[in-house]
Amino acid sequence: MKGLHGIIFSYERRNDLRELGEIRSSASVPVGGRYRAVDFALSNLMNAGATDVGVVLHGQYQSLLDHLGSGKDWDLSRKHGGLKILPPFNYQKDWGTLPFRGKMEALQGVRSYLDTIRQDYVALMDGDLVANLPLKEIYEKHIASGADITVVCGNDSFRTDNGSYFEKDAENRVTDVLYQISTPRGYRGLDVYIISTELLKKLVDECNAKDLFSFRRDVLRAKKDTLDLRVYIWEGFAAQIHSVQEYYDRSMQLLDPAIRRDLFRPERPIRAKAVDKSSTYIGADGQCLNSLVADGCRVEGRVENSILFPGAVVEKGAVVRNCILFKEVTVHAGANLAHIIADKYVEIMEDRTLMGHATYPIVLAKGSKI
Amino acid sequence: MKKECIAMLLAGGQGSRLYVLTGEMAKPAVPFGGKYRIIDFPLSNCINSGIDTVGVLTQYRPLELNSYIGSGQPWDLDGSTGGVHILPPYQGAKGGSWYKGTANAIYQNIGFIDLYDPEYVVILSGDHIYKMDYSKMVARHKEANAACTISVMEVPWSEASRFGIMAVDADDMITEFAEKPKEPKSNLASMGIYVFDWKALRQYLTDDEADPASENDFGKNIIPNMLNDGQRMAAYRFEGYWKDVGTLESLWDANMDMLSPESGLDLLDEEWPIYARSVSAAPAFLSADSAVTHSAVNRGNEIEGVVENSVLGPNVIVGKGAKVSYSVLLPGTKVADGAVVEYAILGENCSVGANSRIGGTPDSVDYDTWGLTVLAPNCEVAAEQTVRPGIMLDRSGKEVSKK
Repeated sequence: MKGLHGIIFSYERRNDLRELGEIRSSASVPVGGRYRAVDFALSNLMNAGATDVGVVLHGQYQSLLDHLGSGKDWDLSRKHGGLKILPPFNYQKDWGTLPFRGKMEALQGVRSYLDTIRQDYVALMDGDLVANLPLKEIYEKHIASGADITVVCGNDSFRTDNGSYFEKDAENRVTDVLYQISTPRGYRGLDVYIISTELLKKLVDECNAKDLFSFRRDVLRAKKDTLDLRVYIWEGFAAQIHSVQEYYDRSMQLLDPAIRRDLFRPERPIRAKAVDKSSTYIGADGQCLNSLVADGCRVEGRVENSILFPGAVVEKGAVVRNCILFKEVTVHAGANLAHIIADKYVEIMEDRTLMGHATYPIVLAKGSKI
Repeated sequence: MKKECIAMLLAGGQGSRLYVLTGEMAKPAVPFGGKYRIIDFPLSNCINSGIDTVGVLTQYRPLELNSYIGSGQPWDLDGSTGGVHILPPYQGAKGGSWYKGTANAIYQNIGFIDLYDPEYVVILSGDHIYKMDYSKMVARHKEANAACTISVMEVPWSEASRFGIMAVDADDMITEFAEKPKEPKSNLASMGIYVFDWKALRQYLTDDEADPASENDFGKNIIPNMLNDGQRMAAYRFEGYWKDVGTLESLWDANMDMLSPESGLDLLDEEWPIYARSVSAAPAFLSADSAVTHSAVNRGNEIEGVVENSVLGPNVIVGKGAKVSYSVLLPGTKVADGAVVEYAILGENCSVGANSRIGGTPDSVDYDTWGLTVLAPNCEVAAEQTVRPGIMLDRSGKEVSKK
């Protein structure tokens, strides 16, 4: 049938996420005050009319499972199709001890699932891309262009950890595929691809037969001259969450109204899991400047250039600057924080001072008490 | 499917004392406290009390309420054996009619209640803000072996003549009921929340329907009839925050109470969560030029001006140099740069033009003429306009009298 099927990958271990990545996959890293990274991929698919989405997992996925639930927040809790969680159920290598080495291996691991896909086309996406892509338009352009694979790229060469970069000709055909380069050039790949279901299955089987596992090396790079690979350039905001520094820098960009307008568009809303929190309360002596504040927070102290997730509390006399406070973090009276990323349920006791730097934000692990 | 206890929520009220705010929706659908609507309180109380079957009786402009309740999923009231059911008046083989009164509304839905064959039925109102565990009230009802239990709270003696007042004996059994008595015998006021034995209530509703002189109202007919017949009527004492938000002033008061947990209305307390259907919007953004104090903010807010002592619903925008104080801004309201809004309630999706002045403080005018300023949903005030204290504007911007 016509339409787009979504496959979201969340199997990679991102070592550079430090404490943020120890307890969760990068797809479930909290972003922008009330989202998880995967909300963007899911909402992009939903806004393109996708009703069936598979999420490929491998390790540290408890947090992601909790977040996804039945998929109802993205209208993916359905009688037919809907959300399918794909742990490595028929992975043929060492059971669960090693992560998938690449997307092709991950797809081999869920090969029988690929046969159940009802739609003619598949969007392959990474779970940690923060962008509001016009996937419907990209899909329509893909069909119109007659390309075998459309590669979605950002229009910048922003360095991302282990990124892929594409060079193209005037007709948007891919001329080169680069990765592991220290000075990025070409267009930054967003790890979003449109491909027909039939071709995807053929490529997966071919890679399996030859013991090849990497999509970008064994498919994109190896076949760039035999397949019709086209680039779609996305001019808007697109952040990949591959390291703490990238996470922090990209998060702080959300304080810019122009970037928020690009990312949070009324015509393509980003849906997140519902939280049952009250309105946020800013106290009589509270100051909250140039900051994003989610539901259920209480700000009695001073907050500047920061992002507060639901239920964060900043008590009287506390100062929070250039920080990201996850869900239900409490900063007690008189504490002073700068350039801190505090994971869920962190508690900063009275009068403590903690300072990171813009070039090295300090991550406080979930639940720690300081 | 048999249930021990189900709830029936009277949500048909027009809310005429909320004037222009309820022009297009039933009172229970009116937004409250930023992200909620009034009906979230009784619905959340039900599920938190273990009541998973709720009938919502609607008849006045139900569209907004119906789409808000939807499947009932935000309140976990979408279960396969109960859940929330919207019950509008309907036509049967012998015809049908609008709900003539609160008792008639329940009478017309005897068939619905019988489906669940309950022992007890809780009757709730759709215009009260409170957190209450109905299971405690049902327990009191059982202990007292009563036919009807009415929740009551102590009100100041000076205000007792504004309420339905219960006189009780030593066991807190109701001996007398007087609607707005000139000389109250007690200060126990009815909160309009009842638990009935379904068998008894069913009989009284049927008898009441047969009485052409009856107004088919719980407070005026059913309760007095049961008392006259000597039925066991228990009082259940409620302590905590409760407010009828049927008037503009009380709606504004309750919103202000939410800002001060000392009032007893602590919505940040998660022991007894209030659920709501939420909107998709980014978190609130408070700019470097903003100054927000003692106020509630919500997702989708973009605030560049001054906001004090106010409650802002989702997607409210306050422009540069604008000032909002002692006001309640319902979802989607836009206050343009330099505008001043004081002591006002702005309906959903209103817009206030640049440098306009809406309302004023009680000491800004002769106190006798002062009042809250209220804009109907979707009302647009152009730039540089003044809307005086106490004025109400309808959706086309026309002045409406409160009389």
